[in-house]
Amino acid sequence: MRKRNRALYYGKKLLIFLFSVLVLSAVVFYVARLAPGDPLVSYYGDRTEKMSPKEREWAMEKLGLDEPIHVQYVKWMQNAFHGDFGISFKYKRDVVEVIRGRIVNTLLLGGIGFLCIFVGSLLLGVFCAWHEDRWIDRILCKLGTVSSCIPEFWLSLVLILIFAVTLRVLPSSGAYSTGRANDIGDRVRHLILPLAIVTIEHLWYYAYMIRNKLLEEVRADYVLLAKAKGLNKRRILFWHCLRNVLPAYLSIMAIAVPHVLGGTFVVETVFSYPGIGALSYESARYHDYNLLMLLCMMSGILVIFCNMLSQIINEHIDPRIKASEVAETSEVTAA
Amino acid sequence: MENLLEVKHLSVSFDSPAGEVQAVRNVSFSLKRGEVLAIVGESGCGKSVLCKSIMKLLPASARIKSGSISIAGTDITNYRERDMQKLRGKVFSMIFQDPMTSLNPTIKVGQQIAEAVLVHDKKKTREQVYQRVIELMELVGIEHPKERYQLYPYNFSGGMRQRSVMAIALASNPDILFADEPTTALDVTIQAQILDLLREVQQKLGTAAILVSHDLGVVARAADRVAVMYAGKIVEIGTAEEVYYDPRHPYTWGLMRSLPALSKGKNSLYTIPGMPPTLVDPPKGDAYACRNEYALGIDYEEMPPMFQITDTHYAATWLLDERAPKIIAPVGRKSLGGRKTGSLTTEKASGNEEQNAFPRQKENILSREVLIDVRNLTHQFHLTKKAVIRAVDGVSFQIYKGEIFGLVGESGSGKSTVARCLMNIYQPSAGEVLYRGIPICEKKAFRANRNMLQMRRQMIFQDSASSLNQRMKAADIIAEPMKIHHMTPPRGSCRAEAKFQMKYVGLDESFLDRYPPELSGGQRQRLSIARALAMEPEFLVADEPVASLDVSIQAQVINLFKHLQQEHGFTFLFIAHDLAMVEYLCDRVGVMYHGRLVELAPAEELFSNPLHSYTKTLLSAIPVPDPVRERARKLQVYEEDEVGAGEFVEVLPGHFVLRPYKGGSTDEKA
Repeated sequence: MRKRNRALYYGKKLLIFLFSVLVLSAVVFYVARLAPGDPLVSYYGDRTEKMSPKEREWAMEKLGLDEPIHVQYVKWMQNAFHGDFGISFKYKRDVVEVIRGRIVNTLLLGGIGFLCIFVGSLLLGVFCAWHEDRWIDRILCKLGTVSSCIPEFWLSLVLILIFAVTLRVLPSSGAYSTGRANDIGDRVRHLILPLAIVTIEHLWYYAYMIRNKLLEEVRADYVLLAKAKGLNKRRILFWHCLRNVLPAYLSIMAIAVPHVLGGTFVVETVFSYPGIGALSYESARYHDYNLLMLLCMMSGILVIFCNMLSQIINEHIDPRIKASEVAETSEVTAA
Repeated sequence: MENLLEVKHLSVSFDSPAGEVQAVRNVSFSLKRGEVLAIVGESGCGKSVLCKSIMKLLPASARIKSGSISIAGTDITNYRERDMQKLRGKVFSMIFQDPMTSLNPTIKVGQQIAEAVLVHDKKKTREQVYQRVIELMELVGIEHPKERYQLYPYNFSGGMRQRSVMAIALASNPDILFADEPTTALDVTIQAQILDLLREVQQKLGTAAILVSHDLGVVARAADRVAVMYAGKIVEIGTAEEVYYDPRHPYTWGLMRSLPALSKGKNSLYTIPGMPPTLVDPPKGDAYACRNEYALGIDYEEMPPMFQITDTHYAATWLLDERAPKIIAPVGRKSLGGRKTGSLTTEKASGNEEQNAFPRQKENILSREVLIDVRNLTHQFHLTKKAVIRAVDGVSFQIYKGEIFGLVGESGSGKSTVARCLMNIYQPSAGEVLYRGIPICEKKAFRANRNMLQMRRQMIFQDSASSLNQRMKAADIIAEPMKIHHMTPPRGSCRAEAKFQMKYVGLDESFLDRYPPELSGGQRQRLSIARALAMEPEFLVADEPVASLDVSIQAQVINLFKHLQQEHGFTFLFIAHDLAMVEYLCDRVGVMYHGRLVELAPAEELFSNPLHSYTKTLLSAIPVPDPVRERARKLQVYEEDEVGAGEFVEVLPGHFVLRPYKGGSTDEKA
């Protein structure tokens, strides 16, 4: 019975997931077309202005934009299920192909950046909490406030000035040097500066959260009992307190994933780094519907997926959440 | 017997923004093996700080200023954290006040106990640890330990959690067990069980214990010796018999007299005048002098030394000096076991001064007009879509005009839910409530009379800290309901009205521009009373209004209620779990259990002739401040988990009992 409840519970989660994705796609599809502007511009460029009404009609028909929105949407859905997401108006290629080249770059930057933030803020937060109110904690906290105040483009420029211009140890732009696309060492060298910016900008915010939540927990009554048991500080902090902080941290982190990935836009611009950030901006600006849809769907699915993942992990850490959820599912099936 | 714990001239201070708080001042006492010492005093008197400073569990802002602590002859005053860790759990351990928060919510109870077993004996195998945990759980009376091992704290009731905490504390067989208000957060019936368990386990294992409490009645059952603390000092210490039967310090007299159990039949509860002093700048002489009606001139000048009365009995009051005038103690009883001690009288002497301040009308309440008629009230809470809890299940009763109606029961019995249904805060699932004949639970009728109903009914809550807006001044808090109802204040302006109401409930008018966090608990509760009374209510509901206050402050607030009710004549629904308070204050009392009203009778009748077995259990759990009687008293345990449906039968005039529908009942005797 219990196993069945579990299965049903995850089944329910999956259904919610699919439903959210469906709603998301419909909303993005509709809203993108509501925005003012001419989608033909992205395909035909300057020629659009000189088009006769007849030519226009023909062009619209060719791009499939003449039909009512809901028909377009159904068609898009049908094609999407077959793996065909249409062509990009601007690049006049399959959108999957357009994205493929850049997504690796973004995933490298955002993914590694996210990992750095995730691990770094956890360590930093715990470290500060451990040394609460000692000089090292105070200095780190002040440093964090200062670094959060610095705008990332400015910091990027300063770092470029120091490491690329003055010291000449790191490259200032691009994802790889010309002709060395497969040289991993070269890629890594190009990644260091943008990665540093992404990490520094986000790290403190989450480290603070960990520190303050931990210190809140340390003042809880159960810590007093744990101390009275004779446990040492390490055991209390890592075994008792951290597990009560983790659910909140994971939830925040799940929301941070798309935030970090999307937040690479400024960095990508400053470092001329060919990633998805700039691409999304362009696709929205030039009404490149198919590209926009795919990008939105990808980030949307990522958000929903991360939220669900954090929820499931939280339920494993904090039994109280699971109990209420599973109970609810079993009640529904009983009804 | 050698002294296991020896505390000499201990002083502990805290750094606070207001200055140095001298929480513990020059305290000395000792504890022998296997002995239970109770430390009693009002909140803020330093009793808890004293225990925590022995275990060095205080926050970093606290420090031991002087004095020494030694355990079995070894001085531990200057031990570092690392050394203390070895002692904690093994030499001494501690139980805390609130079992709801002292267990880690995300770790299985069994694991938390196992952790305590392992910490001082890392060589134990997994199997041995498991066996020991099961053994401990059995020791503290947790049934089905093997299943319960796997459960999380949220699956446990309050009593069970406190038992688990006790198992953790006992895991490494400590020599001393500190129990910091271990029963304060629990229901009366559970409270007695936990105390009995503490005593039983302590005797079985030979553990010495220090039991901290604010209630003299509670500790009478378990204590061998009693120390009374006031303003950071021990003012009296002696064996339980000595302190209860022959108290010498005026503060001990005051504490004993404020217990409602001793005010039986009197018209107002005894209260200690004034407030405890702040410990930032404690007074020069005896800290209690300004509240002490027996204070001598010297009390204001010089700190009294500890006078020895017998080998074990000491008290710090100038009254014991040979030059002091002889005063007859207002409390205490002729000693038991044939021992005679001098200056003792019975309680009766103390009653005279307070008698007949407010003559109680003896007219029959039942012949009055019915103000509220509750018929078959049922309220359900939906835990999830399908799971439903019946918080209130078919409750019917009437409240007559101008009476004080008491509603008692343990937490979760539905008494607050009933009150909230009466106030239209909850919409009941079934049944009806008639207020002056208006069915207030029907939306249409309620809307039509909304203004009248909201003005005439007022409510006072348990937690004055959270029920008053922290960012509103006292004057605005009192005047707000008037503004809402566009009332013209009878005394000109809102401010004048607020001033009047504050004086009326005994608050100084200088508090008008203060914010609630600046007031003490008792003052805040007076403020909520003033707010409710400003509307001249016809019906007042007070939901556990004194539960979070100190004994002496409780008595002040209760007296205020009684006084105001007699002057205003409003109808009063008083909800409490403290039976002694209810007996003193209320005209009629209803007892609730698991959502049902099991008994309803006039207060005197209910307390002298309880009929339902649950009421009997509840009454038997009231602690008596008399060690001999208290120890001899046997607890009744109410076995039944559920009270089945039944009919509410009038057994005697005005005395109703819930009786199961068909025969074979054990509940009745009449």
